[in-house]
Amino acid sequence: MFEKMIICRCEEVTYGQLLLTVKRHQCTARELKLRTRAGMGFCGGRTCRVSLDRMIESVIPNTPLCEIPLKYQPPVRPVSFGTVGEAK
Amino acid sequence: MIDVIVIGAGPAGLSGAIECARYGLKVTVLDEFIKPGGRLLGQLHQETSGNWWNGIKESEELHSKATSLSVDVQCGVSVHNIEKVDGHWYVHTNKGTQLTSFVLIATGAAEFPIPVPGWTLPGVMSIGAAQVMTNVHRVKVGKKGIIIGANILAFAILTELQLAGIHVDRVLLPEKSPFSQKAAIPQEVLKSLLHSAHLAPSRLLRFGSKFMNNEKLRRLGIRHYPKKGFKLNGTPFQLRKAALEIVGVNDVEGVLVADTDEEGNTIPGSEKFYEADFVCIAGGLYPLAELAAVAGCPFQFIPELGGHVPVHSEKMETPLEGLFVAGNITGIESAKIAMAQGTTAGISIANSSQKCSANIDKELQKAVHNVHNVRRGSLIHFNPDIESGRKMLKDIWSSQYEIKSSKLNNLKKGS
Repeated sequence: MFEKMIICRCEEVTYGQLLLTVKRHQCTARELKLRTRAGMGFCGGRTCRVSLDRMIESVIPNTPLCEIPLKYQPPVRPVSFGTVGEAK
Repeated sequence: MIDVIVIGAGPAGLSGAIECARYGLKVTVLDEFIKPGGRLLGQLHQETSGNWWNGIKESEELHSKATSLSVDVQCGVSVHNIEKVDGHWYVHTNKGTQLTSFVLIATGAAEFPIPVPGWTLPGVMSIGAAQVMTNVHRVKVGKKGIIIGANILAFAILTELQLAGIHVDRVLLPEKSPFSQKAAIPQEVLKSLLHSAHLAPSRLLRFGSKFMNNEKLRRLGIRHYPKKGFKLNGTPFQLRKAALEIVGVNDVEGVLVADTDEEGNTIPGSEKFYEADFVCIAGGLYPLAELAAVAGCPFQFIPELGGHVPVHSEKMETPLEGLFVAGNITGIESAKIAMAQGTTAGISIANSSQKCSANIDKELQKAVHNVHNVRRGSLIHFNPDIESGRKMLKDIWSSQYEIKSSKLNNLKKGS
């Protein structure tokens, strides 16, 4: 039941997929994100960020905490390409 | 050009804007919601004095005060990036880019929805969403609900749902997992709630208070905690039950629940199904600091403040020149503290601005003191160790950042 539970709702990544990836690759948060797309969806990770941090913390102890594990990138809100691109 | 852009029209942002405007600065406030007030809008509770704290009224008062001082409050505007180029801050929004000398980030907090199997079904929401639907949009969230997660926010909103005539069937804990952590351990939950014992004169908290200071007694208390739970204004709080799964085909039909031991481990064979048509997950709040991060502000991880917070001083300045913070982005606390911090940030900005020639150091000191006083006088603490979290950050600031920024100021004054 837990395995099939979705953690990243935007990209529909399950707990099972994340756990397998973390265990196999002993990933950092960033690597986990890049391998699974968890946290890279529409909401920019606002919903699953804490979950991802906690998962890595539980699988890989001694993760440094003073830095933000998952980097924030602009745009931090969903915007159209027109908004960030050059107006023509 | 605008002097100050405030991001977030909640209690901190509006208070900051009012203060800046009082000192003659030209201020714009941006907020992505349809109306100003932020999380204040959802708040409705009776204080120990007997007075009601009505967040909608408080928001209106702040908003009209700001407007009367010619603050431009723009709603429905999302900021997606801020950056500093050639000494000016560029604030990029879905309605274009604005230029300013000072930015006050008062974006508040976001909720952490603890993942529970079935949590993506329609009818499952965060506890804050239930609050906004009820008190802001006046939409009934459902006929019969279950709250998963027992913290101060959950109980405050439970009372609001009850006031609105919405039936909440029970409050229970999430299942033990890497996600729920302490929120699934009855001992820890009780410990965190007991610090607000004087707030709720309920049987549960009177029961619990006796056990508060002694761990052995607390364990004993939890062992003998009644299975049915204690009722809070009619809704049972079941400390020894955990939600295993939210069940439903097309939407929520109920929750599968098991009994737990004192450590939160589920007891096999005790599973039971409870019907419900909505479920609220209460996992707590964390500072919503994405804009401070993209601006390049350094961070510290301080669990007592709710997670990663941008480094800042008691005057609400960050190490980045012209960038200030206030409210829940600096740590999870109540609206009154956010307001006091907003006021401090406003005076701080006026103090750094060349437009404001008056010596307002004294006002600034007073405002900093006021934040401490409001904190000491407040009955609700989202984290009982908030004071030590604040102290930790203050020490980090004075040992690693203060010298640098005061040198910078002296340099500027000398030039």
